[in-house]
Amino acid sequence: MFARLDRKVTPYLFVAPFFVLFATFGVYPLARTAWMSLHRWDLLTGPVRFSGLANYAHLFTDPLFYNALANTASIFVVSTVPQLAAALGIAALLDRPLRGRTAWHGAVLLPNLVPVVAVALVFTQLFGRDQGFVTWVLTWFGADPFDWQAHAWSAHLGVAVMVIWRWTGYNALLYLAAMQAVPRELHEAAALDGASRARVFRSVTLPGIRPTLLFTVVVSAIGGLQLFTEPRLFGVGSSGGNDRQFQTLVMYLYENGFERFDAGYAAAISWVLFALCAVLASVNAVLVRRLVGRG
Amino acid sequence: MRRSYRPLWLVTALVLVAGCGGGTSGDGRLRLTVATFGEFGYESLFEEYERAHPGVDVVGRVADFDAHHKGLITALATGNGAADVVAVEEQYMPRLRESTAGFADLAKFGASGLRDRWAPWKWEQGVADDGKVVLGLGTDMGGLAMCYRRDLFERAGLPTDRDAVAALWPTWEQYAEVADRFARDAPGAAFVDSVRSIYTAVLNQAGESYFARAGDSFIADTNPNVKRAFDIAGALGASGRTAKVNTFTQPWNVAINQGGFATLTCPAWMLAQIKDAGGPANSGKWDVTAIPGGGGNWGGSYLTVPAQGAHQREAYQLAEWLTAPEQQRKLFVDDGILPSQPEVYRDPVVLEHKDPYFSDAPVGRLFAASSDTIRPNYRGVRDADVRPVFGRALGRVEEGSQSIDQAWEQAVREARDAVR
Repeated sequence: MFARLDRKVTPYLFVAPFFVLFATFGVYPLARTAWMSLHRWDLLTGPVRFSGLANYAHLFTDPLFYNALANTASIFVVSTVPQLAAALGIAALLDRPLRGRTAWHGAVLLPNLVPVVAVALVFTQLFGRDQGFVTWVLTWFGADPFDWQAHAWSAHLGVAVMVIWRWTGYNALLYLAAMQAVPRELHEAAALDGASRARVFRSVTLPGIRPTLLFTVVVSAIGGLQLFTEPRLFGVGSSGGNDRQFQTLVMYLYENGFERFDAGYAAAISWVLFALCAVLASVNAVLVRRLVGRG
Repeated sequence: MRRSYRPLWLVTALVLVAGCGGGTSGDGRLRLTVATFGEFGYESLFEEYERAHPGVDVVGRVADFDAHHKGLITALATGNGAADVVAVEEQYMPRLRESTAGFADLAKFGASGLRDRWAPWKWEQGVADDGKVVLGLGTDMGGLAMCYRRDLFERAGLPTDRDAVAALWPTWEQYAEVADRFARDAPGAAFVDSVRSIYTAVLNQAGESYFARAGDSFIADTNPNVKRAFDIAGALGASGRTAKVNTFTQPWNVAINQGGFATLTCPAWMLAQIKDAGGPANSGKWDVTAIPGGGGNWGGSYLTVPAQGAHQREAYQLAEWLTAPEQQRKLFVDDGILPSQPEVYRDPVVLEHKDPYFSDAPVGRLFAASSDTIRPNYRGVRDADVRPVFGRALGRVEEGSQSIDQAWEQAVREARDAVR
């Protein structure tokens, strides 16, 4: 009797810690945020009144929301395309016989270990208008001091550089692991057939790591949607520049929740954000299933 | 007292959230935490208080302006984590007055009897419900003066004597003319730090800004004070008279240190910030004189006792002691923190006080003299929703991306949307 109970209950006890944590830090905040988003909710005084979907209705007609969404998308593109391309190149370089492999792997991952606040502070100084290193270098070529925060394109570029710096090495290691799982015989067969290095890379390596490529794109997109610290510290305040030219979605959420105390509206933004992430994750799941199925 | 954005706020906010909470110290004494921001100069007073109250251990916690207030709001929203005594800057008071439940009503400890200590307007800003609820006890105030660099003025061939400088600019229009002269004769340095500090100073000299004193209605689009401050500051920005460095940012500190601009609107608490950023090397280069357009007030704080604290009575006693006239007098003489109590700012010790860092400027007389004429700016409950909109608009003018008219038009539109 006890043994049967043991067999029935014990497995649940073993998995319980995860579900308890998930319920506390995952489900409960989600549910509560959903509940808040249906109210006019003041951060300090709490619920003012039930307002149904009014927050969402306002959000979908709010030009500042679309501005933040566009900025987020733009920074994502500017940061992800060069980042993944560079990661692919680095992985290809590392995927050959190298002396001191582990040291190289470690070095590539190093930028990812630096706390993001430190990264943001250092890069913001590098891009400083008056004393910045980048400005200083540009003046060698006769350029005038440049205000990186003042223009949308340059601000997006500045923020993207931080993201690239932090995540390129991490993605390179993911690609490297995937590349090493591509059967060596395929490479050798292609080489025997007289394919060039570039051709082997294009026709053997790239198709072989397709699921990983897709995975990194989706993970970068989810990370890009949640971009906050880098742009927040790049400028002054949560507005992302004087014309909100680099305000991301999470910064807009923060501005509403913690600077204007409109917790209900901030909750609605975070649910839309959650929905966007969920859509991306499901797209990823579907595509991976298809790719792997075909492979 | 007011110290704005510092990039480390994220770190400090985390530390704040993690490290809050009162209780008992290891040796059985009652521990009271006091959270402040910027420069309050309280450390030596804490020791004095502990000597007089052997059963109390006072722990100070200092953050920058942003981190401090964000930490307080988080603590109020979640119901725990606030210090026993928390400083609140005046611009946050209208909003916090709306949620009095988060704070102990100091009237129940007898605070109402202290009313006559403060200038009437200072007291009024700290109370709610027609004065029945006392939210906070006033600390300092931000009487306005103008700081200027004697060395840069000399280079531009301008007078350096503080009375002669004051005579140059009785009005802001004349101040702008001096700026033009300075730009012509002393290229290389800007005349003032940023459009925002000029804008804030001009606006703080008016009685009303974004919201009407009567009925709290939105008047930013029609109030001539706002447009006037916007135009004066915007014109300085558009003609490149500003160093384009926002107050309290790292580039601002550097500009102070290297003499990047010649004048700075100086609420009393700004002196400590200049000393901080300028360091000993710049001692004697600055001076203080009267501000164009007459006196005004910019900033100043209150000590509050959050209702979540376990030792509210003891916290109140500490706050009461910290804001008592003897301590206010000491804070001014030691740290230049301008008292908000007439009895103190009319005290000869305060009036005679000179500051060697600022070329022996008679700061006591300068600030105290304007204290009696202060007409504090009325702040609406939703002030914080509107204020940044105009700041950003002026920033666009300063960057050169918009004309004054374009920026104004967009600001008014955004401000209307924000208060909808």
